[in-house]
Amino acid sequence: MRWFESPSFDFIKAHNIAYFFSGTLIVISIVAIFTMGLNYGIDFRGGQEFVFEFQEPVNVVEMRSELTEPLGSVPEIKLFGSDREILLRVDTEEDVTRTRELILANFAAMYPGNEVTVQKTDLVGPRFAEDLRRGALYSIIFALAVVFIYIFIRFKGWWFSAGAIAALAHDVLIVLGIFTIMGEFAPFDVSINQALIAAFLTIVGYSLNDTVVVFDRIRENSIIYKTMNFTDMINKSLNDTLSRTVVTSVTTLFVVSVLFIFGGEVLKGFAFALVIGVILGTYSSLFVASALVVELQKRAIAKAKS
Amino acid sequence: MKKQNNGFKIGCIALFLGLTIYYLFPTVQWNLEQRHMASMTEAERIQYETDNIAKLQRLRERSLSLGLDLQGGMYVTLEVGTPQLVLDIAGEFADEYLEDVIRVARDRSFDQRTNFIDEFVNEFQSRDADAMLSRYFRSDAENITRRSTNSEIASFLRRQETAAVERAIEIIRSRVDRFGVTEPSILQQGSNRIVVELPGVDDEERVRDLLRGTARLEFRLTPETEEINAAKQAIVNFFSTYEPDEDEEDPIPNLLEIFDLRGTNQYSFGYAAGRDSAAVNRILEREEIRNLIPRNMTVLWGANPFAQDNGIDLYEMIAVRSQVELTGDVISEARVAFYPTTNAPEVSMTMDSEGARRWARITGANIGRPVAIVLDGLVYSYPTVRNQINNGRSSISGMGGLRASEDLVNILMSGALPAPLEIIEERTVGASLGEASIRAGLYSVMFGLGVVAIFMIVYYRTGGGIANLALMLNIIFILGILAGFQATLTLPGIAGIVLTIGMAVDANVLIFDRIREEMRGGKTLRAAIDNGYANAMSAIIDANVTTFFVAVILYSFGVGPIKGFAVTLMAGIVASLFSAIVITRVIIDYLTREKTAIVSFG
Repeated sequence: MRWFESPSFDFIKAHNIAYFFSGTLIVISIVAIFTMGLNYGIDFRGGQEFVFEFQEPVNVVEMRSELTEPLGSVPEIKLFGSDREILLRVDTEEDVTRTRELILANFAAMYPGNEVTVQKTDLVGPRFAEDLRRGALYSIIFALAVVFIYIFIRFKGWWFSAGAIAALAHDVLIVLGIFTIMGEFAPFDVSINQALIAAFLTIVGYSLNDTVVVFDRIRENSIIYKTMNFTDMINKSLNDTLSRTVVTSVTTLFVVSVLFIFGGEVLKGFAFALVIGVILGTYSSLFVASALVVELQKRAIAKAKS
Repeated sequence: MKKQNNGFKIGCIALFLGLTIYYLFPTVQWNLEQRHMASMTEAERIQYETDNIAKLQRLRERSLSLGLDLQGGMYVTLEVGTPQLVLDIAGEFADEYLEDVIRVARDRSFDQRTNFIDEFVNEFQSRDADAMLSRYFRSDAENITRRSTNSEIASFLRRQETAAVERAIEIIRSRVDRFGVTEPSILQQGSNRIVVELPGVDDEERVRDLLRGTARLEFRLTPETEEINAAKQAIVNFFSTYEPDEDEEDPIPNLLEIFDLRGTNQYSFGYAAGRDSAAVNRILEREEIRNLIPRNMTVLWGANPFAQDNGIDLYEMIAVRSQVELTGDVISEARVAFYPTTNAPEVSMTMDSEGARRWARITGANIGRPVAIVLDGLVYSYPTVRNQINNGRSSISGMGGLRASEDLVNILMSGALPAPLEIIEERTVGASLGEASIRAGLYSVMFGLGVVAIFMIVYYRTGGGIANLALMLNIIFILGILAGFQATLTLPGIAGIVLTIGMAVDANVLIFDRIREEMRGGKTLRAAIDNGYANAMSAIIDANVTTFFVAVILYSFGVGPIKGFAVTLMAGIVASLFSAIVITRVIIDYLTREKTAIVSFG
C-alpha cells in the first residue's frame, strides 16, 4: 500500500487560504480566552476537588443548587465517566476533611439509600497553585526558547526557528481556545491542569517532529538543487516528505484516539488535547511553518539587498 | 567490515536486553508472588509472609513501583513555616517591632513568591539602615554574638532554616514509620517544602494530624483569680459603653454570658459554642481588648467541650500565664495508659532528670493551684497540684479515644517539629479508582499497539513486521529503563508509553519511506537500504533531540505524576531510537544477506 506516491501539491500557493483559516481560529481562540477566561483546574486555581461514586445515578443540576448554600459558594459539579460518578470542585478555605464531611452529610440527606464513596480528594493551596501556574508558564516559554535555539543552530537561519515557533504557538493557542470554549459544555473535564500542560508540551514536541523532518528535507534539497528557487524547493520538500508525514500522523492519531476512548476518565482531557494537537500539528507543519519560512526568508533577503 | 559492524550491534542488543531482563525480573517475580499469596487463606498468607519476609521485601523494593494514582494513597506537600521559625529563634529577644517586621516580610514573600529570609532582612534594614539584627539573634554554637553583622545573621538564619527542614523530614519519617506505611517516600522540594507520599493510606485526617502535629507541649501556671476577674470585668465594661460603627456587625451578642462573670469556675475566662469561637477570637484580638488583658496573661481555648447546651458543644476559655514553665523537650518517654477509675485512655509521660527536677520545683511551689497542660495551643487539662511531684511524671487525658492517644505518643516520641508545617497540597486517590486507571491504561497500551501493528504490516509489509518486532522490544526496554532507574509508573506515564508507540514507528516510517524512494530512483535493494538508513538519520536525530529537550523541561518543572510522564517520554525516545535504528537494521541485514533476497517495504 502506498499513499502519495509522488505528489506535487502546491502547499505554498495554498498559504493564503491557510493563513485565513489559521488566523480565524487564532482570533476566535484569543477572543474566547479573553472573554471567557482560561478554565483553570484545581492545580492552577487552588481549592478542593472530590470524585464521588454513587450506587445509583444522580442529577448534577439539582445537586449543584442543593449544595450551594451549605458550601457557601456555587460548586462546580460534572459527571465523571458514568452518571453515577461526579467530580465536584469548590473554592473554600475550610478544612478539607470538614468540607468532605459536610458534602457527605448533605448527600445522605438528599439521596437516602444511595450509598456514596469518595474516590479522590485533591487539595491545592492558593499559593501552591500560583507556583504551579508559574512553573507551567515557564516550562512552555522555556521549551519554545530551547527549540528556537536548537533549530537556529541546526538549520542556520532564524527564519526556520521563527517559522517553527510560530507553528507551535499556533497549535498551543488554538488547543487552548478550543478547551476554553468547550469548558461550557464538554461531557468530560477540560479544565487546564498540570496534565494538560504535559499534553501541550507533547504537542509541541510532536508538531516539532513534523516540522523538523520537513526542514531537514529542505536542508538536503538545497544542497542538491542549488539553482531551484526557494519556494519551489520548499514545495518539493513538503511533497517528498508528505507520505511520511501522513503515515506518522495517522499512527499517532490512532494511539491518542485509543487513549481518549479507553484511557479512562482521569486522562480524558489530556488525551483530547493530544487528539486535537496531532491534527493541528500536522496541519501547521504542512501549511503554516513552511509558508512562514518562505515569507520570512524573502523579507530577510529583500532587507539585506536594500 | 559490515559483518563486524553487525556483530557489535548484536552485542549491544544482547547487552541491552540482558540488562532489561535483569531489572524487570524482580517485578515479574513480585507479581507472581502476589498472585500466589492472593490464592492462600489469611492464616497461610501470614505464615508465608513471615517465613519469606526478607525475600518479599527485596522483591518489592526492586520491582517497578506504581505511582499513587495507580495504587491509591495519599500525596502531601508540606511547607515549613519559616516566619514562625525566625520568631522562635529570636525567642525571648522578640518584641512587637520584630513581630511586625516578620509579618510584613511574610506577606511580601507570599505575594511576590520571594524568599522569606531575604525579605525579612531587607525589610529590617529598610526601616532603619543602622539597626542590627544581632539585637534579636544569639547563638553560642554558631558564634552569633552582639557584634555579628546583619549578613552573618542572615546566613545563620538560612542555615537554621535548612536544619529545620532536615529535622522536620527526620521527624516525619519517624512518625510515618511508626504509623506503619509500606514504602513511604519523604523528599525535600525546593528550600522549604517537603513532599510525602504514602501508598495505600486513605485515613486522611489521621495522617494530616500526624504530619502537621507540632506536639508543642507546654506546662503553664494560671493567674490569680482576682487578676482574671479584673480582666473579664474590664472587657465587659468596655463593651457596655461601646458604640459600634455603622457598617460593623454587633460584635457582642451576649457578652455577659461569654465572659462568664458569675464565675462557675474560678479559672475559666468564659465559654462559647464551638462555631462561635472564631468570632470570640476576633474580639480577643482587637487592639483595645488586648490592652485590657495583662501582658503576663494569655487566654487559650480548652481542647474538648466541657458541657453541652441543647446539643451544641460548649468550649471553655482558660486564662494561663504567658510564661511557659516547662516544654515537651523534657519528655523522655510517653506511653498510652488507662485511667484507673474510668478506664479512659490517657497519655502518661516521664521526664528526663533535668525536667523532673524543674517539675518538682514547680509543683512544690504551687500546691493547691492548677497547672495547665497545653498541647498545640489548646488546654487539655488544668489539674490542681496536690503534692510535690518528684518522679517527673505527668499525664494528658481527654484525647478522645485510644487511637488519638497512640498518635500523640507517636508525635511526642518523635520530637517536636522545629517549626509549624502547613499542608499546601494534598491528593488522595482511592484504591478502586487506581485499579480502574490501571485497567484503562493496559487496554490503551494493548489496543494502541494492536492498531499500529496492523497498520504497519498492511502499509509496509515485511518492513512493517520488523518494525513491529522492534516496537514490542521498545516497550520492554522502556519498562526496563524505568525499573533500572527506580522510577515509578504513573497514569500519565502509561499515557507516555502509549504515545511512544505512536511516535516510535516514526523513525521506521522515515527510514522505510526513504528506502522506497531510493528504490524508485532505481537502486538495488541493498543499496536502497544503506542509503535509506543513512539519509533518514539526520531527520530522525533532529526530531528526537528536540522532543527530548522538551521532555527534560517537563521533568524539571513538573511535579508528581507529570514527572512520571516526562520520564517515560525520555525513556521512550532513547529506547525507540535504539530499536528503530539498530534492531531493525540488524534484522533487515540478516534477511538480505543473500544478494537475491527480497524484502518488501510495501
